[in-house]
Amino acid sequence: MRKLGDLKNLFRRPSLPPSGGTEELIRLENLVKIYDTGALKVMGLKKINLTIRRGEFVAIMGQSGSGKSTLMNILGCLDRPTLGHYYLDGEDTAEMTPGQLSAVRNQKIGFVFQSFNLIARTSALKNVELPMTYARKPKKERRERAMELLTRVGLEARYSHMPNELSGGQRQRVAIARALANEPPLILADEPTGNLDTAASEEIMELFASLHDEGTTVVVVTHEEDIAAFTGRIIRFRDGQIISDEVNPHPRRLKKEAAVC
Amino acid sequence: MLIENMQMAFHAIRANKMRSFLTMLGIIIGIGSVIAIVSIGDTMRSLFADLYANVGLTQTYVSIGYWVDDVRESDYFTMEELERIKNVFGDKITYIDSSAYLNADARAGEQSMPFEFNGVDYNYQDVQPVKILYGRYLNEGDTLGRRASAVVEAESARRLFGTENAVGRTFRADVYGTMTEFTVVGVYEVEMNAFQKLMMGSGDDTGSAFIPWTLLTWPNDRFYQCHLFADESMTTAELDRFYDDLTFYVAKLKNRNPEDLYVYTATQEMNQMDSIMGGLSMAVGGIAAISLLVGGIGIMNIMLVSVTERTREIGIRKALGATTRDVMIQFLTESAILSACGGAIGILLGAGVVFLGGTALGLEVVVKPSVVIMAVSFSAMVGIFFGMYPASKAAKADPIDALRYE
Repeated sequence: MRKLGDLKNLFRRPSLPPSGGTEELIRLENLVKIYDTGALKVMGLKKINLTIRRGEFVAIMGQSGSGKSTLMNILGCLDRPTLGHYYLDGEDTAEMTPGQLSAVRNQKIGFVFQSFNLIARTSALKNVELPMTYARKPKKERRERAMELLTRVGLEARYSHMPNELSGGQRQRVAIARALANEPPLILADEPTGNLDTAASEEIMELFASLHDEGTTVVVVTHEEDIAAFTGRIIRFRDGQIISDEVNPHPRRLKKEAAVC
Repeated sequence: MLIENMQMAFHAIRANKMRSFLTMLGIIIGIGSVIAIVSIGDTMRSLFADLYANVGLTQTYVSIGYWVDDVRESDYFTMEELERIKNVFGDKITYIDSSAYLNADARAGEQSMPFEFNGVDYNYQDVQPVKILYGRYLNEGDTLGRRASAVVEAESARRLFGTENAVGRTFRADVYGTMTEFTVVGVYEVEMNAFQKLMMGSGDDTGSAFIPWTLLTWPNDRFYQCHLFADESMTTAELDRFYDDLTFYVAKLKNRNPEDLYVYTATQEMNQMDSIMGGLSMAVGGIAAISLLVGGIGIMNIMLVSVTERTREIGIRKALGATTRDVMIQFLTESAILSACGGAIGILLGAGVVFLGGTALGLEVVVKPSVVIMAVSFSAMVGIFFGMYPASKAAKADPIDALRYE
């Protein structure tokens, strides 16, 4: 078995790209994730160094098994790195207790998942309220903010609908509203368009783009080039390493007439 | 947060109505049977208390102890001694007699039926009142003059004479070998509820009547027992004191040690009965409580299923910032509410059965609030206890695995 100390000689340090924002929101330092499957240890991430600044719109791309999901879990504070540091908004999450990580997920991160992950048999409004419930916000404030957010994603008329009464695109928009509930500095979207048709996918990406325009940091994990094309920076993964990190000078936008309804 | 948790719990319970109901059923049956059994026990106790109050709680029997071997002639009571005891204690004794009774056939013309004749003094009506329908009660003349007068119970009179108004009619009965002709001077009626009839009725075929106690002493004027009623207005302490004095006095009178006397009071008997009934209902209630355990296991089982089914939901909640504690409390609330709802329905069911039964039998039933409160809190505790394992299982779920769960 290989000693961890040897790892540092194995990988090259990727050059940091020029960034869109000014202040850094995410900094990964020598991040390593090892999965211990008992018989053998699998390296999910091999010494990643990465900085994402506030207000950036970033796509993380890669084949399955490239390590992008592992990175996603760590960025989302659902998992902790084996080695290295992950600074989110200036705080090192590697040192945090499970309770603190819950608070970080609640306050600093808004998740958008491929399979929407709305709570079943619970209205759109209640779903959007949920992160605020865990933040112990008063009921009236929650309700008003949730309505506001549903209006923002164009679903104010459907606030009382259950998830199974909504289309895929609508569900994802509810999920985005939910992700925005506690005004987190970071929106993390894991294959947000994976379960949607092209039209709905583009609407969702347009929504992310408009959030980006308003200054929100959005990180999207995807394996589709035309989805990544909406972003301003594309980071590619292979075998647990960053193989490229490029600025997308001309982010794709839909024509005005086809924009989100 | 508590309100949100409760809302979520009701939401989850409603989402699976049939399953929730079946799960609750264990608790419903458990709590229902505990409530029913304990309430039946309490009802019986209160009925017995009423019964003894009716009989007279200060009713007392004094005799030579059944454990005494060398019983002498002087251990028996004479009428003069009874009179003396009455005079010594004055107002503290409201009534005294020999507790003599006679079982004999009463014959009136062709008609004959077994009777129980109670030998009483004329003022027995003061301590054990009966309702006189026709004629009069025994009077002082009857007892002092040893007149063969009888006050017959209405139903017995109807069966012996064919009419309830049997005043003036006569019947014959064998009193210690002497065929005596009795004259009916009065007819009485006893009002009893179903339970009292059950406990006190001397069977349908035996009639009952009061006759002067002086008739049942003839010819030797000695009795085994002294039967008296103490003044009911005395406090418990005063009564205890009275019983001590009485025992001491009778012992002196009989030239016996106080320990050789057997003093038996209705209060004593009632307390005995009460503790037996209390113990019995506790024991049976305890056995019924075992079914609560089974109900609790049912809840645990269904909560485990629910946690597994909702693994993904747990993952989502954790990703949105729910702490381990939030998830734990959510599931604990759910199982506690499930169980407490079952408990509430069980109480309604158990109390309903008891009230229905009581109404059918014409009895006043007792459902103690303390028992109800205990049952609800116990069922909620069962829910929390048996919800603990599933809830901690839910809370410990790894959000990544939980989110990936299909």
